[in-house]
Parts: sequence; structure tokens; C-alpha cells
Amino acid sequence: MSSSDTVDKGAEAQDTGRAGSVRLDRVTHRYGRGGATVTAVGPVDLTVPAGEFLVLVGASGCGKSTLLRLIAGFEQPTYGAVRVSGTAPRPGGTAGVVFQTPRLFPWRTVRGNIDLALRYAGVDRARWPQRRAELLARVGLEGTEERRIWEISGGQQQRVAIARALAAENPLFLFDEPFAALDALTRERLQEDVRQVTAETGRTTVFVTHSADEAVFLGSRIVVLTKSPGTVALDLPITLPRSAVDADELRESREFADLRTKVAHAVKSAAAA
Amino acid sequence: MSTIPSPPQTDLAPLPDEPPVRRRSAGAGGTARLRHVGLPFGSLLLFLLLWQLLAVSGTWSETLVPPPAKVWSAFVDVSTTHDGVRGYNGTTLIEHLGISLRRIALGAGLGIALGVVFGLVMGTVGWVRSLFEPWITFLRTLPPLAYFSLLIIWLGINEEPKITLLAVAAFPPVAVSTTTAVTAVSQSLVEAARALGGSRWDVVKDVVVPSALPETLTGVRLAVGVAYSSLVAAELVNGLPGIGGMVKDAANYNNTPVVLVGIIAIGVSGLVIDALLLRLERAVVPWRGHV
Repeated sequence: MSSSDTVDKGAEAQDTGRAGSVRLDRVTHRYGRGGATVTAVGPVDLTVPAGEFLVLVGASGCGKSTLLRLIAGFEQPTYGAVRVSGTAPRPGGTAGVVFQTPRLFPWRTVRGNIDLALRYAGVDRARWPQRRAELLARVGLEGTEERRIWEISGGQQQRVAIARALAAENPLFLFDEPFAALDALTRERLQEDVRQVTAETGRTTVFVTHSADEAVFLGSRIVVLTKSPGTVALDLPITLPRSAVDADELRESREFADLRTKVAHAVKSAAAA
Repeated sequence: MSTIPSPPQTDLAPLPDEPPVRRRSAGAGGTARLRHVGLPFGSLLLFLLLWQLLAVSGTWSETLVPPPAKVWSAFVDVSTTHDGVRGYNGTTLIEHLGISLRRIALGAGLGIALGVVFGLVMGTVGWVRSLFEPWITFLRTLPPLAYFSLLIIWLGINEEPKITLLAVAAFPPVAVSTTTAVTAVSQSLVEAARALGGSRWDVVKDVVVPSALPETLTGVRLAVGVAYSSLVAAELVNGLPGIGGMVKDAANYNNTPVVLVGIIAIGVSGLVIDALLLRLERAVVPWRGHV
């Protein structure tokens, strides 16, 4: 953690500079130029304290992916400022990203994909075997090192992508609807694994989805976005007894069902507005 | 573990219900072998038969259409030492071919290397592409013979103009296919590499080059083909020893059998090289079709 830990200036001021924290300050993003611009997002004010699991929910086209790309540093806001760990985000330097599709390199094996991420992260070559084994164990893919990308299932490919994004040990983790293309069973299992990985590593997570179910299961806080341009419609902290019960019990609980209904309604009315 | 079966596994899939499948697959294998080996072989026999008939019919003189047997004995003559004469003009057929192949390896190799470099730069830097693309298209449309005279004036009559001609002929296909492949590189993979912390150079080395490789190799096959078809042109002047020079020289003396031997040697060696390049392509880019 950064040195700002020692300085006590109130919770928010402290959080915005801490490793993994995200701060969006009146962020607006527009596509196109001249007269034909479309405002995709904004204005959005949002502070994500370090260690939080924030889920951004909204109907398709509400700009949630754009917001994630702004936080990742792939896009620059038209107005306002984005800060990650107190600095401007830079692709590869501030956050690990998992995309909608695995985006693995087909000319490399599972091992090759992980190794490339370790090399880019500047990990000492002597430590690669150990780190690779750790990363693959963390996503449940032991023994698949030599497999070609097209020889493993879609769910396994997305697991490799998660392991790859974990290689750099960035304090922030970004997910852009990573399980939308997977079957229900694989999706639930991966959701459980993502929760476990982020809880174990204590990383800040921003997770984009259109599923209220996924949002309630994963998030410690849910933000619902309105449609074009995306602005914050609902900001909801989630307090579910996660550690006390197992995943299936949690999904079947009354509180879970209530929250899911609440979020689903908010998404619907935000999309209609 | 659920896996997507690779093509060979799909072939094995129906094996469990053995007897009927096996009989069927053996029959299918036989038909396939007949088609892949029998048909080409049969057409070759038919061709030789028609050739023989045409030659004995006397429609054209033996100088214009020599019978297959005469071409065969010319082949034996140029491949061996007979009556104290070694091959054709002191060099055996295989040596002529070897010298020409060396020229192709040097010339086409140079052209291919330059083509890859130009393609990579043109594909990544927009203004370089705008600058060079018209020139490369211009070069591509020129028949090699058109600039060969110029090369003779500039470079003399030894190896230099021949190798330059082959390099100039091989360059455009590789440059064009590499440029296209680099421009078509998947932006989502580039972004994935950048998200992992890859630098600009890392992205070129680890994403752009491998993803352009399949199409570049297709360009290499095209380039070798173009170089091969320019071989006789390259060896028009002072081409002996060399297979193209041999064809040219034999033509000067109306030695049609040797001309035919040369043409067949060029064609057959071209087929062999193309098959080798195809095999190389399969070995180097196993992910082709999986991107």
C-alpha cells in the first residue's frame, strides 16, 4: 500500500490516492467530432475505494463498457478526469483487464500466453515457473500448460485470460462482461472463482455486466447506469452474508432474490428513461 | 475435460462401432488414394500417349514435336557423360538446375526479406504506405523482361543482373501480402497485449508479426512462383550454366528435346519447392484457421 496510508485526512481523501482506488471526476465521453458527436457517458462522478468490488450494471448501449475503457486508460475522457491510485490510468500499468472474449494469442500455448504476461509485467525469468504454476492453480487449470488455445473450452480460455490479467499484480482488476458468452453452469462457477480470487488478493474490482443476478452475486456495491448518455441512476451497497453460506445457498436466499429484483427493476427503468 | 476436438480427432470419432465403419473407411481410403494418385498418374499416361500419337502422325516435323522417347534420351544425355561430353555444354542437368536454384535462393531470398521488412513498415506506418504503395504496384505490373535490359546496362552480364531480376520479381507479392496482413491484425489482440503492459515494440514483435505470418507465407509462395517463372528471362543473357540458359541455348540450335527436358525440369522442381513451402507453412503456423 502507498505511503498515504499514514496520513489521516478523512476516509475519501485517503481512499482516492490509495493503490487500486478509482476516482471519476465529472467524466464525460463523446464519440465523433464536429457537429456529429454522440455523448456515450456522463457526466459521471464516482469514487471506488480500494478493496471494493463494484459492479456496473445497465442495458446494452448505456456506456458501461466505455466507462470501463476510460478507467483502463484505452480512452481519454472528453471532459473531466479519471484517476486510478491517484494517477492518470495507463493501459498495462494500472489495471489488469479481462475482456468479453478471452483474446488469447493463438500462436502461443496456455503456457506461452501466461509467460508473455509475466514478461510484460517485468517478472524475473527465474521466477516464471513458480508464478505460472501459482496463476494456473488459482484459476483451476493445473496441467494445461502445453495445450493449444483451440484445444480448450471457452470457459477454460476465459480462465487463462483471468490468470494472464493477474500476472502483473496490479491493485485494480477490470472485467468487461467476461462471462456473457458462456453457458449458465460455467458462468456460475467462474463467478464463484472470481469472487474468491479478488477476496484472496484484496484487489479493487470494477465489473461490467448486464445481468442483475451476476451483479448481486459478485458486488459489494452496485451502480446502475441510465441509457445514452450513461449517468448514475442507482448506487447500492450490497451486504450479503457471503462468508457464512456457500454460493448455492446465497443464490437461493431471500435477501439475494430481493436485491436481484431491485436491481433488475432499476436497470429496466433506467433503460426506459 | 471438455475439449474442442482437432481435425484428426474428428476422423477417429466414428471408430467405436468397429466392423462396418472400418470397412467403409477402408473403401473410402481406397477411393481417395485412387483419386489422389491414380488420376494424376492416369492423366500423365494419357498425355504421353497423345504426345506419342501426335509425334508419329507426322503432322509436324520431328524438330517441332519430338516423340517422348527422343526427349527421354535427351534427358539421359544431359544427365550423364556420353562420348566424352559431359551433360549439356559441359554441365549436367542436375548441376544446371542447382546453379539456377542457387540464383533463385539468393534473388528471391533477398526480395522476400525486403518485402517482409517493407510490408511490416508499410502496414504499421500510414504515410510510408502511401509513399511506396504506388511504386510497388507499378513494379508488380511490369514483366521482368521489361526491366532486364536496363539491369544488363547497369549491372553487366554476370550474376548481378540475374539475381537482381529475381529479387525485383519476388519483392512485390511479399510486400503486398505482408502489408495487407499487418493492416488486418486484430485490434482486440493488440489491445490485449497493451493491457498486459506490452510496449509498442512488444506489440509488433509478439502480436503483429505472428498474426501476419500466415498471409506472409502465402506471399512467399507466390513470390517463389513469380521468381521461378522469371528464371528463363533472368538467364537469357549469359545464362549458361543454368537451366534457363540451357533452354535458351538449346532453342538457338532448334534442339527441341533439350528445350523440353529443361521445361519439364523447371516445372517439376517448382512443384517440389511449392510442396516444401506448403509443408513449412503448416509446420510454422499450426494456428491457421484458429484465429
